[in-house]
Amino acid sequence: MISVEQLTKVYGRRTALDAVSFEVPKGEIFGFVGPNGAGKTTTLRILAALLEPTSGRAFVDGADVSLQPARVHERLGYMPDFFGVYDQLTAAEYLDFYAACYRLPRARRKKIADDLLELVGLSDRRDQAVDTLSRGLKQRLCLARALVHDPAVLLLDEPASGLDPRARVEMREILKELQKMGKTIVISSHILPELTELCTMVGIIDQGRMRATGPVQDVIRQLTSGRRLRITVLGQKEEAAAVLKPLPMIHAVSTLNGAIEAEYEGDDATAAAILQTLTAAGIKVSGFSQLEGGLEDAFMRATEDEQ
Amino acid sequence: MNPIAVALWNPIVAKEYRSRMRTWRSPLAMTVYVLLLGGLGWAIFSAMAYSSRNSYNGGQAANYGQGLFLYLVLFQMVLLAFITPALTAGAISSERERQTIDLLFVTKLPAFSILWGKLLASMSFVLLLLLLSVPIFSLVFLFGGIELDQVAAAFLVTAISALTLGLIGIACSTAFRRTLPATVTAYGAAFLVLGGTLLFGLLFPTDPDPKATVAPAPPAVTYLSPIIPLITIGTNGPITNFGVRNGNPLYGTSGAGGTVACSVTPGGVKSCYSVPSGPMVKGLIGQPYPVQASGTMIPSGLFSGWQYWQATVTLQLAICVVALILGAMLLSPIRHLPWRKRAPADVKT
Repeated sequence: MISVEQLTKVYGRRTALDAVSFEVPKGEIFGFVGPNGAGKTTTLRILAALLEPTSGRAFVDGADVSLQPARVHERLGYMPDFFGVYDQLTAAEYLDFYAACYRLPRARRKKIADDLLELVGLSDRRDQAVDTLSRGLKQRLCLARALVHDPAVLLLDEPASGLDPRARVEMREILKELQKMGKTIVISSHILPELTELCTMVGIIDQGRMRATGPVQDVIRQLTSGRRLRITVLGQKEEAAAVLKPLPMIHAVSTLNGAIEAEYEGDDATAAAILQTLTAAGIKVSGFSQLEGGLEDAFMRATEDEQ
Repeated sequence: MNPIAVALWNPIVAKEYRSRMRTWRSPLAMTVYVLLLGGLGWAIFSAMAYSSRNSYNGGQAANYGQGLFLYLVLFQMVLLAFITPALTAGAISSERERQTIDLLFVTKLPAFSILWGKLLASMSFVLLLLLLSVPIFSLVFLFGGIELDQVAAAFLVTAISALTLGLIGIACSTAFRRTLPATVTAYGAAFLVLGGTLLFGLLFPTDPDPKATVAPAPPAVTYLSPIIPLITIGTNGPITNFGVRNGNPLYGTSGAGGTVACSVTPGGVKSCYSVPSGPMVKGLIGQPYPVQASGTMIPSGLFSGWQYWQATVTLQLAICVVALILGAMLLSPIRHLPWRKRAPADVKT
């Protein structure tokens, strides 16, 4: 649905994007992760045909963003990382205005505005002035605005920034709902735990370069070498570490807050074998669990070369 | 809706009307406008009534009408020159500052429609102000001395001048990212059009050809200013004292053109009468003066034979077209300026 090939953007002497490539198939939620200034917003603006790439190409649902911006705009809902709201308009009028900008007939606009307000949970605020809405509500209204023309693709730039935890959870629920409706969604964010739960695919960008891209678990596996165990023992930390270190499947052993963390290569059977070795050596194991490799971890690994 | 209606009426106009008319600023601006114009009319009337007590024919109603009309149209033009750039200079740049312009660019509205919508919305407010002034101008007819076509021509010149200033404001608003520099530039441009062109006429007047059989006219650039046509419409006479070197003889010009000759009758009564302008008229000090303009037509030059207001409207419409094209070119998020060759989006391999 979205295809980005060797996208490069140069501002004067600064390279904001350096040959970025990725693909997002239909129906996926693509998390675009990177520190501030990594090039996330630049990429999204190019995808929304608001910025011309220096070189490279990008396609949204088959339409070239440089050559067919009008076709791109038809297929795309864009929500920038700020609230674009006007004073003196109510929520319903705000949506009606953008629906009219998409040349939707007047007869359909009212129903669309009502449906969208219901989708984002703002039905009871339809006649409230937009500039008096709270940040979270404005953000939801902006999401509704991006949906007025029922686009196949949604580009959301930092949709959760500045939202309180409840608003974030609500936003996440809305996005899941949209995914069920078959929309392809690209979300840029630096709030990683949220993306792990929500996204099906991820791209890690740093200093204008794509560090890793693919399905979330693949990227995590690719970047965090092996799996990790968290072991707690009854007072025999040094002995336990000494037993673990010589084992061939163990890459690294560290003690953290009274627990031992061991990185290993292998599957569940390997983990069972490690536990067996520990108990055979007389170590009293009180806790033994596998740690899920997190996106945060993957992100730190991907960007650590540059730090 | 047919395509023309779609092009003319776009959602931005309706949205701008709503936003504008829901604030207290618009009714306040309208009230102040009417009060200023009405106040000036009243002040001029009072001044003329006062001075007419010492004048033997100044108290004629027609003179009141003409004087009132002239000052009102000039004052209205100056007021609009202050209001219009303020209305339009922020039209696009404020959208940029509020970061809402991208949201418009990703819709189906072409950049030109955005520009057009903003212009239409701002200029309708100017038109509303012009309509509000109609009752004040209608008072002029109580005194007489002014024809309906003079009022129509004056309103046309004022409206077109406001449109020009509005379009210059919009062009500035698209060229600058911030409203402040856009506003400053728009006011600078408004001053240039209204006052700068007149200053040009004063500094670089036309050198009259003594052999010419037609009267010299001010430099063509001065017709850009709506002040000249408004004066010619208001006085129903030519511009004689402006834009021509030595064009202001020490004696002998009347408001209606031509010269005035005075003689003393044997009885000792001095009488003056108007002499239509001919190819060469001798002034009272014996020096030949260039031919004087008469009527409201431009006597010579590029716009020879045109009415002053026609030249002004034509020149201003030309500026409007340039400003509109410039604005539309600068507005697009991705500017494809004709002098900048567009690099094809090549694929690195």
